[in-house]
Amino acid sequence: MEEDRVVHVVDARYLSCPGPLLALVKKLNEVRRGGIIKLLATDPATPRDVKEWAERTGHKLLEYKKVEQVFEIYIEV
Amino acid sequence: MASLALLIPTEKLDRLHIAANLTAAAASMGWSVHLFFTFWGLLALVKGREPSGITGDYMAYESSLKKAVESGVMPRWADLIRQAKQLGDVKIYACSATMNLLSIDRDQLEDFVDDVVGAATFLSIAEKSDVSLVV
Repeated sequence: MEEDRVVHVVDARYLSCPGPLLALVKKLNEVRRGGIIKLLATDPATPRDVKEWAERTGHKLLEYKKVEQVFEIYIEV
Repeated sequence: MASLALLIPTEKLDRLHIAANLTAAAASMGWSVHLFFTFWGLLALVKGREPSGITGDYMAYESSLKKAVESGVMPRWADLIRQAKQLGDVKIYACSATMNLLSIDRDQLEDFVDDVVGAATFLSIAEKSDVSLVV
């Protein structure tokens, strides 16, 4: 990932599915095409859900990692 | 874009949450969603009525569901439907035959109800949908 781009953080920790996806989609209005969103989530289904969502909506799941119990998911809008 | 048709024949909270979750996920992916509330499902659309209880065999888990909703981990099912409607093309239909059966008028229904329709209309919608499910 390019570290110099502004990263918009969406904190969806502790929300159960489909809360993280909804929180991500709501944020889209504020982020320009090419912008980066960092989604924080604890629901274990989130990375796969975001991948499926991105493939169907023309966005890009850049990478994700698990830091302690939290998924950090990077999406290019 | 794909579309989803859901038939909701019960007002049990667990089923309503399944319907609301699928609706929100589908709307997030840009799908259009059509929900048909029929028989006891229609009761969930009556203004001021708080659907209570979960499907019989699973009453032991009712408090878990209520706790998840009260703590905000899971939104109230109706709030989730409202959020999904803001995201995209989500239509809520009330079954006309059930309205008649239960003597319920259109103005008794929640504001998020789009229309009162019959079985043939819902079947036509379901026929054109990519995914049709009963909850």
